Amino acid sequence: MTAADLDPLIHVPARLRIVATLAALPDGDSVSFTRLQELIGLTSGNLITHLRKLEDAGYIGTAKTGNGQASRTTVALTARGRAALESYTAVLRDVLGAL
Amino acid sequence: MTGHFDTFGPPPPKPDPFDAAAATGTVDEEPALDAREAAALLARTTAEAERRFALQPPVLVLAAAATALVAYGAVWLSVRDQHPYSGPSAPALAVLYGTLAVWIVFVTGVTRRALRGRSSRQRRLDGIVFGAIWICVYVLQGALHHVGASHAIAYGVYPAVAPLVVVGSAAAGYEAARAHPARALLAAAVVALGSFASFAGPADVWAVVGAGLCGLLLAVAAVQLWRRRARA
Repeated sequence: MTAADLDPLIHVPARLRIVATLAALPDGDSVSFTRLQELIGLTSGNLITHLRKLEDAGYIGTAKTGNGQASRTTVALTARGRAALESYTAVLRDVLGAL
Repeated sequence: MTGHFDTFGPPPPKPDPFDAAAATGTVDEEPALDAREAAALLARTTAEAERRFALQPPVLVLAAAATALVAYGAVWLSVRDQHPYSGPSAPALAVLYGTLAVWIVFVTGVTRRALRGRSSRQRRLDGIVFGAIWICVYVLQGALHHVGASHAIAYGVYPAVAPLVVVGSAAAGYEAARAHPARALLAAAVVALGSFASFAGPADVWAVVGAGLCGLLLAVAAVQLWRRRARA
């Protein structure tokens, strides 16, 4: 295994932090966009762009709660995203073991 | 007059930041990660997220320790010189239930912070079930009074230890079933504390339970802080 085998979608500092943060949630839970932003420390624009890439790959899901002005978006890691992080971690271990 | 001029109404809710950002989403260029940096970042982020999402942060446990000491201590101060024993005074009961209410509001506020989903629904259900068990403890106290139990039992030993023994037993079973051995052991220790404290008599039982609970919870907070420091 080499570093080239690491999932390029996760192997970016901001997205690695997003996925690792969401993986720490209890299974079946989601976190509000605002709380995620507070935890990750990215600007809204930056965060949403990374979230879109992860959502397009099926790694995360977003959902709306409430209606109109009171609506809020929540974000959660999907089963596919959790599996991708596990696979990324396994490859990372192999790469580090080979160093 | 229309709603637009109502200066006393609630302020309009702010729009969802997700929607506001969706229109302008851009991404900054980020430096490439090597494997060692990625591993360090992953470990650091996971530890930080687990700490932030923890439902029993040390601050909650420390607050519980202070609550136990103040609540039970206030009752003990009001009954320690009673001969014969007649029960806690109204101000002491107000301190007992007031500090409990403040602690429940504090716990609810901390555990509610922006997490949604299965675990928050489970917490609500747990709250209802354990709340109902707690209420039943006081229903039984009413029955003891009704059948003529002495004040030393109905207003001394029973109300001091029964919540620990009954709610603690339920919690021990619940945590054991969910494969949380440390929490199950803590709940069993609370049951044991309640059982042995009952030998202290109707007045001193309040001091033993308050000091014992406070000590147990301080030990739990110390272990949590030590683990957190070891992980950092």
